[in-house]
Parts: sequence; structure tokens; C-alpha cells
Amino acid sequence: MYQKSPTKEWTSNVVRYKKFSGSWAWLLHRITGLGLTVYVLVHINTLASLQEGPEAFNAKMQVFMQPHWVFAAWILFGLVIYHTLNGIRIVIIDFGKGAKYHKQLLYGAVAIGLIVFLWMGYIMFFGHDEHDFLSRAVSFFS
Amino acid sequence: MEYKYMGSRGSGSMSWFLQRISGIVLVFVIVGHFILMHYNPEMGHSFDRVYERMQNPYYQMLQIAFVVLALYHGLQGVWNIYRDFKFPSWLNLTVFSLLIVLGVGFGALGIANILHF
Repeated sequence: MYQKSPTKEWTSNVVRYKKFSGSWAWLLHRITGLGLTVYVLVHINTLASLQEGPEAFNAKMQVFMQPHWVFAAWILFGLVIYHTLNGIRIVIIDFGKGAKYHKQLLYGAVAIGLIVFLWMGYIMFFGHDEHDFLSRAVSFFS
Repeated sequence: MEYKYMGSRGSGSMSWFLQRISGIVLVFVIVGHFILMHYNPEMGHSFDRVYERMQNPYYQMLQIAFVVLALYHGLQGVWNIYRDFKFPSWLNLTVFSLLIVLGVGFGALGIANILHF
């Protein structure tokens, strides 16, 4: 039988609950996950302009190449990199022996994530060089 | 309601497992996606470059797998979060149906975007 939960008490319990690193990792994983799910839907909807032909698509993409949209994409990348690295941590905890060193895994994930996040920011804002090694590697495979 | 053991089939273990597997695959696909789309702005934002890539049927297959896995992983994740709370059964059914409709609808739109080429 369903009973209405006392929402006020539930909220204060959650807020007051002493959160260690694992709780924050869990909470952030959910928040980033929800954000990314909404983004996937928006993203698929935006790409529907591919069906309207080159002019419509290129016009839409010009909008997203404006600096504040590039900044938004960078923040989005931050959500992706956290969710990805913490997701790998979860898999190591669930399938390996990560439960024994889950805190170290989180610190490692945050450290690697910050480095990749800053590197991606550099690429998105300044790294538009067609001739560096990764661009050439990508053109070779695509 | 008194707890009654109904066997492990309905325990959600399979969705837990598939969430892990789809997540592992997505890690690889999303790294490739970011390099391909964002390494320079031309690559992800020009119709001609998208058109060139989409001429390869294996690339199209990869993109379809990406759309399906991302939607499955995301919407399954939303359902996992929802199930951590206690809500009336009519709302459970409504939310579950909505997630299915979103998955099928946006999955069809995403696949149509890819197969358009």
C-alpha cells in the first residue's frame, strides 16, 4: 500500500546526511547523468536539421560556433568527462576490487578529468590548427 | 506491503548489468566522437564533412549503435533514479511509458538523421 512520504523530512534528512567522497561521487554522477540525458535528446533534435539540407544545417552550426556556445559545449564536456571517468570507477568497483580503493579511484578520476577538461578547453578555444599531429591522424582515419 | 521473494528475474540485475555494458561501450564511442567532432570546429559543424563521413556504411552503423546505446543508457539511468523514490503505481506506469515513448521517438529521429545520407 502506497503511503505518502513526508517530503520535508526526507529533504532535510538528505541534506543533513554526512556526505563522504563516495556520496558526492554518487550524487554528481546522477546530476551529470540527468543533464546528459536531456542533452542527448536536445542534440538529436538539433541534428534533425541535417535532413533539411546543407544550408539549414550550416546556418544552425554557425550559431553554435559563437564563443558563448563554445563555452557551453566546454561545460557540457565537463559533465561528460566526469560521468565517463566516474563510470569507469563504478565498473572497476562493481566488476573488480575497486571497493577497496574507491576513494583513490575518485581522486584519480577528478585529477585526470581536470587535466582533460583544461586540455579540451584549450583545443576548443585555441587549438584550431589543421596541421598538428592529432588532426592529421583524425583526417587519416576519417 | 509484506516482502515476498519473487525470484531474481525481476530484481533488476539484468538492467544493472546492461547499464554497465552499455556504459563501457559508450566510453570508447564518446572518446572517438569528441575527437572527430570537436578537434577542430570544421569537423563537426560542416554539412560537407558530415556528408563525407556518412558515406561509409560502417560509420553509419556505429552512429546508429551510438544513438541506441546513449538513449538506452540515459533513459535507463533516469528510471534507476526514479526507482530510488517511492511513488504511487499509476505514476510509475506513466513515467515508464513516457521514457519508452521518448526512447522510441528520439531513437527513430536519430536513426532517420543518419539514414538520410
